[in-house]
Amino acid sequence: MAKRRDVAIVGVYATKQERFSQRSALSLTMEAIHGALDDAGLTMKDVDGYLGFTFPAGSGMGVTDGNVAYQLNNPFGLVDRYSGAMALLQAAAAIREGLVETVIIAAAGSRATADGRTVAWTRPEYEFTEWTGSMTPAQFALQMRRHMHEHGTTVEQMAYGCATVRNNGHKNPDAIMFQRGPYTVEDVLSARMVADPLTLLMCSIVNDGGNCMVVTSGERARACKRPPVWVLSGAMESRYTAYFEAPSLEMLKGREKMMKAFGRAGVRHEDVDIVMIYDHFASGLIMSFEGLGFCEIGEGGPFIVENIGLDDKHPVCPDGGNLSFSHPGNPYNFKAIEIVRQFRGDVNDLCPQSAEGVHTYDRSICRKVRDPKLAACCGPMTGRHSFAILAKD
Amino acid sequence: MAYDKPLPRPTPLSQPFWDGAREHKLLLQRCQSCGAYRFTPQALCRECYAEEYEWAETSGRGKVYSYTIVYRPQTLTFMDDVPYVLAVIELAEGPHMLSNVVGCAPSDVHIDMPVVVQFEDATDEITLYKFRPAE
Repeated sequence: MAKRRDVAIVGVYATKQERFSQRSALSLTMEAIHGALDDAGLTMKDVDGYLGFTFPAGSGMGVTDGNVAYQLNNPFGLVDRYSGAMALLQAAAAIREGLVETVIIAAAGSRATADGRTVAWTRPEYEFTEWTGSMTPAQFALQMRRHMHEHGTTVEQMAYGCATVRNNGHKNPDAIMFQRGPYTVEDVLSARMVADPLTLLMCSIVNDGGNCMVVTSGERARACKRPPVWVLSGAMESRYTAYFEAPSLEMLKGREKMMKAFGRAGVRHEDVDIVMIYDHFASGLIMSFEGLGFCEIGEGGPFIVENIGLDDKHPVCPDGGNLSFSHPGNPYNFKAIEIVRQFRGDVNDLCPQSAEGVHTYDRSICRKVRDPKLAACCGPMTGRHSFAILAKD
Repeated sequence: MAYDKPLPRPTPLSQPFWDGAREHKLLLQRCQSCGAYRFTPQALCRECYAEEYEWAETSGRGKVYSYTIVYRPQTLTFMDDVPYVLAVIELAEGPHMLSNVVGCAPSDVHIDMPVVVQFEDATDEITLYKFRPAE
């Protein structure tokens, strides 16, 4: 595991995650950027790459690299609009190539008021989907139903995964769903049906919030305030645009490419101590393990039942994930942020001395993973699949 | 009552598809170089990248690749429709198509069920393509 310790996450920040923040995404983004730079002990003048939140363009030309640089009054060697694992890999490649040295990756979401409609990003105004009554839960229900048909995956396995992740969020004071649990498999199965087989508790929440992380070279990382978290490797693959093309299990065909990343990182699946699955729906929990090669295709259901608890082999989403912690539309960075916090020991939970970094490992109050050293930070399996392998210093 | 649910807004690329639907024909782009069908509409053949294509009438037949029964309406205009069946139809010609299955109880829908297109004239301009169980 000694190789490729030349790019690191050195700063992270999440704003307060709220149901209705009454704040703009821009405001949340800027708080997150300043917070993450403070965490690293850096300033905007140290930054020469920008990924994430798409600043509204003053020029009327849409969001362009030039506009982002002009708005932030800072020259950039890299500008793009992704966050999370995909952005980490992009930043790491650019840093390794010497195009940039320090990249901020920022994102935020702030939704409109509730009026009986599902949130806008779940139902794009596309001519071959919107009129059918499609929305994201239904899209992933279609994927899950096919998986059940081909592989015998059960609703109990799906419910187990969702209950496990939600029970982590239950113990996280920063989670939207803090103390909204604990849930049993039966609770998840008996929740209101949204799109068969997905019940309400198998679907992500929706809320407001911002997030940012700072990525830099190994040399500069050593001079930052907190211990670096190394970006060893990862993989990404685009196949289609989610919510536009008909859902299928095609994403699992990217499995070989994902598995090769473990070789590049010099690690094995069995050494991964935390898996930050992109748990948008129950389907993500099951299929991501298959897609990353932790198990064979079709075995994700039985696999999660054996492996994803906080004291199991591959604990998943100890923050509560998209299901319980936060989903402001672009929760991708949270997957890495939680890994950084678990590595550092900065884990807020119900342990009496959690603020001092002392954890009881009593699972009724504690969500700290025991001594994690290696983690997988996943993006969604929604036509564009990505994940990064992160290591503790 | 006027149709109040979201309506497709055709693009120059997709207009012939919707013109066909208005005549109750299910058309797909077919490559004039290699013969491959494609859906959703794309400028190039996904197999050989040829630009030339025709809008070919299909059998309108296929089978259910997957389905879901939706209980929570996408927007309030779908309130009267719940529970409705959203499905991916694998057309006999190959491409997959997101649509609704109508004409049977939602609980009767199953994977691999044979279906046939059923057109619904929503407005004077737009006819929607849905699927019902085949005889």
